[in-house]
Amino acid sequence: MLAETIASAPAGTATDAEAELYRRFAPRIRLFGLKHLRDEAAAQDLVQQVFIVTLERLRAGAVRNVEAIGSFILGTSRTMASAQRKVGSRRTALLDRFDDRNAMAPPIDAVTFDLPRVVRCLDTLPLRDRTILILTFYADKPAPEIAAELQIAPGAVRVARSRALARMRECVGAPDKARPTGGSR
Amino acid sequence: MSVERCGRGASFADLVDYWAGDLTGADAAQLEAHLFECAECAKYLEEVVALGHAIGEGMRGAHFQSIVTDSVLNRLSRDGVRIRSYAFEPGQTIPCSVWPDDDLVVSRLRADLTGYTNVGLVLAREDGVEMSRIVDIPIGPETTEIIDAVPAARLRAVPSCRLRLVLSGTREGREQVIAEYGLEHTGTETR
Repeated sequence: MLAETIASAPAGTATDAEAELYRRFAPRIRLFGLKHLRDEAAAQDLVQQVFIVTLERLRAGAVRNVEAIGSFILGTSRTMASAQRKVGSRRTALLDRFDDRNAMAPPIDAVTFDLPRVVRCLDTLPLRDRTILILTFYADKPAPEIAAELQIAPGAVRVARSRALARMRECVGAPDKARPTGGSR
Repeated sequence: MSVERCGRGASFADLVDYWAGDLTGADAAQLEAHLFECAECAKYLEEVVALGHAIGEGMRGAHFQSIVTDSVLNRLSRDGVRIRSYAFEPGQTIPCSVWPDDDLVVSRLRADLTGYTNVGLVLAREDGVEMSRIVDIPIGPETTEIIDAVPAARLRAVPSCRLRLVLSGTREGREQVIAEYGLEHTGTETR
């Protein structure tokens, strides 16, 4: 158990366990950040902040239930994302004014897919399914809004979206960069 | 990995719904907690998000032709994609050009689509050579316009010529031409 190893070792000596904990949870914190902060840079900041707190608390023996370390990391992510949101509007305004909001790349070890391959696979989808994926992932529309635009039922959007993603994953194959999953948590 | 559920029974469709904002409140919180416990679901969602990112890159880079909606066009404009738009009434022929700095050329095709299914769109040169074919365009009872977005780079490669857009569909069991539109394509303009 990684968290137990870190908590029971002298502070800062369980470096392999700390690195492994980071490898397992950093992608999840980043996803959480992307979902709630809608910004790659903010999501990557969140990963660093949450890990600093998590490791400090583990090293200090201040995590009450180390077996539920995922739950602790989620709680910390929620608290810190909430704090980031409070300064988020100022950051958004600055980015809108000075920066290309799409320029921030995912971290170097993030899962990515080859763009030409993705485009070829999109071309194989039925047009309605392709439109649903574009509206979901590019226009950031939830199912009811997509349903209104395409004049179909929200349930049909959700079914088609799920089916289209399954076909896309099968078509594009393995990601270009992906960490080994390792462990069950 | 099962196609539909992780080893702990969580639905991959629910993960996508969560990401898209279609799960709220307790359902979203419960799924979020599961994500921090389940490596399989975390990996699945990470791949879905990476796919979504690539789809966004494909749109922003005008890498493919697609039927789009006004909300997609609005997003493209916000992202700085340079869009040249032409609006057509049925039977209308209009001159059109593509400029070196255009990213996307959009044709807004107005038509009476009442009662049609299996709607398709063919772009062809006047000599009949087909340049693209789109089938099963999603339409609803209130659709009055098809918005076709084509990468400008593809059109820049087309020399000056007359082009035809033919919108067709099935109504009362018969395939019919719904409307035709003409383009006097003058090639790539320079400033």
